[in-house]
Amino acid sequence: MERTVTVVPEAGLHARPAATVVQTVNQHEASVQLATDGSEPVPANSMLAVSGLGVATGEQVRVIADGPDAESVLDAIEAILSSPLEEE
Amino acid sequence: MTDERRLLEGIGVSPRVGFGTGRWIGESRAETENPTTDEVDPAVEQSRYESAREVAHDSIDRDRKRALERIGENEASVFEAHREFLTDPQLTDAIETAIDDGEPAPRAVKSAFADPIEQFETMDGPMAERADDLRDVRDRLVRTLEGTDNVALESLPSGTVVLAERLTPSETARLDPERVAGFITQTGGRTAHTAIFARSLGIPAVVGIEAELAALDGEPLLVDGEAGTVIVNPTRQEQRMATAGVAQTVRSEPAETRDGQEIEVAANVGTLADLEPAREHGADGIGLFRSEFLFLERTDPPDEASQRTAYRQALEAFPNGRVIFRTLDVGGDKPISYLDMPAEGNPFLGERGIRRSLEQDRDLFEQQLRALCQAGGAVGDDGGTLSIMFPMITTVEECEAALSVLADVLEGLSETGTPAARPDVGVMIETPSAALLAAELADRVDFLSIGTNDLTQYVMAAARENERVAGLHDPLHPPVLRLLEGVVADAHEQNAWVGMCGEMAGEPRYTPLLVGLGFDELSMSAVSIPEVKDRVSGIDTAEAEELAEHLLECHTRGEVTAALERWSAGVQEGT
Repeated sequence: MERTVTVVPEAGLHARPAATVVQTVNQHEASVQLATDGSEPVPANSMLAVSGLGVATGEQVRVIADGPDAESVLDAIEAILSSPLEEE
Repeated sequence: MTDERRLLEGIGVSPRVGFGTGRWIGESRAETENPTTDEVDPAVEQSRYESAREVAHDSIDRDRKRALERIGENEASVFEAHREFLTDPQLTDAIETAIDDGEPAPRAVKSAFADPIEQFETMDGPMAERADDLRDVRDRLVRTLEGTDNVALESLPSGTVVLAERLTPSETARLDPERVAGFITQTGGRTAHTAIFARSLGIPAVVGIEAELAALDGEPLLVDGEAGTVIVNPTRQEQRMATAGVAQTVRSEPAETRDGQEIEVAANVGTLADLEPAREHGADGIGLFRSEFLFLERTDPPDEASQRTAYRQALEAFPNGRVIFRTLDVGGDKPISYLDMPAEGNPFLGERGIRRSLEQDRDLFEQQLRALCQAGGAVGDDGGTLSIMFPMITTVEECEAALSVLADVLEGLSETGTPAARPDVGVMIETPSAALLAAELADRVDFLSIGTNDLTQYVMAAARENERVAGLHDPLHPPVLRLLEGVVADAHEQNAWVGMCGEMAGEPRYTPLLVGLGFDELSMSAVSIPEVKDRVSGIDTAEAEELAEHLLECHTRGEVTAALERWSAGVQEGT
């Protein structure tokens, strides 16, 4: 299952949204990966990997989920990425 | 060592000037290589690493809470990122593999972090700051493992200027702004967390100094966070100016903006013991006297005479200032044994404040008003000192009912010839309904005082003690700001003055905004008074009004915060 989401937070996948994504993934029973246009999918349960994508605001991210909670984890991540949760 | 005066240039990150003695706390604490140790037992190292991770986890949590209290919710969130780095599967795997291969735990940690730190350092824009976060997490682990805790940053002697290659966000958050005279680092930029923490904590700071800072250990240093300069061996006069620039200078005279507008800066007090510190910090008066302390922790209500004595003491502490007493404000969340207070499912939406005073606690309410008016009479108040305000007003009827109880009390006192003062009367604006009725309420009273903590909670539907919704509980959300603006405008139209006694009032960062919104009075904890007065005196009203207008147009709290930050930065650069 996968979905493409546009990243809304002003600073992109900065400290807080990235941490929230990782926390959310860890709370669900699903294996989740994130990918940007130019990148291979990376595990979304890793803060290092998620921050390492260096996603800026307005960029599109592909969210790929697999597992019993796939649907709900996609919903949750979409909500995080598309809310203008501000940083600094 | 020469005593020659020298100037070093860097980047100023907080609009403060400080003077003190340099103290080199070393380079990034975990970058130095320690000597190769002998054979280690991987199983032992593995369990050392695990327990270090637990310790680090707890200390991150403590720092997050501390940042939440001292700095702000946004800044505290950086520690959530740290927590995720600490448990990151890629990092933990790399560390565990290195340990299995025979590395001692500290070295395994350092080498696992090395590459990602380097990668983030080369990234553009804000992501580069993750390198700081990674260093912070790594240093925590290494410190725990090596038992080499850092210099006790919390307890540096007063007047220390911290010198470091770099400071991590958590190290900065641990500095005590009351003691540290400033910090200087070789790396860093204006937008890094460290800089933001320094600004929020009001610590003078200059970053990005290219000189060898270790050499400045023990030297007298003047840190000018505004100009971005460090003066080694400053002149006497420079030292004096630096110390005068520290906002701890108490001003007992009222604060005035640059264009001569007076803003009353008052103290919130919760006991009689708070009165002296309020005076010491230069309060113009008391903007919120919480009368609950007289009623709590007792088995029976206090009598009128003892209330009179307490109120009189407060009035005498500020003979030339206004003292605003809030009448008893209790509800199901702070039960009082001798009052009938059934447990309520949602005490913040239940019988509290004036609702109880007009009903089941009416006798107590009358007695309190009688004691207040008599205390005013006893100090010979002929207006302008004794003020009374009613909490938790939601309707015009409640306001009128409370006023009529007061009128009856005054009539009763005058019939018996008891000396009594006629107080100024106000209403607390802490519910959205009161805010929307500001014009009608202001028409009936002398002043309004906004309690932003409760107002924010009710407007944003977010309990203030619920950390999970802490992001919503922020008065910078546009609907709260717009209500504030409306209340001030409505009150002024009715010739009533408006104050604020919530936490927002004591936050110096918000002073320009509040002056711009037109507040006549700000009331806060005593410790914030010197800084807020200092802030007021640097404000130009027209500029502050422009700022407020601009912030009122923002759509999100993020925009408000960013615009406020930009404005402060602009002021700092002297534009």
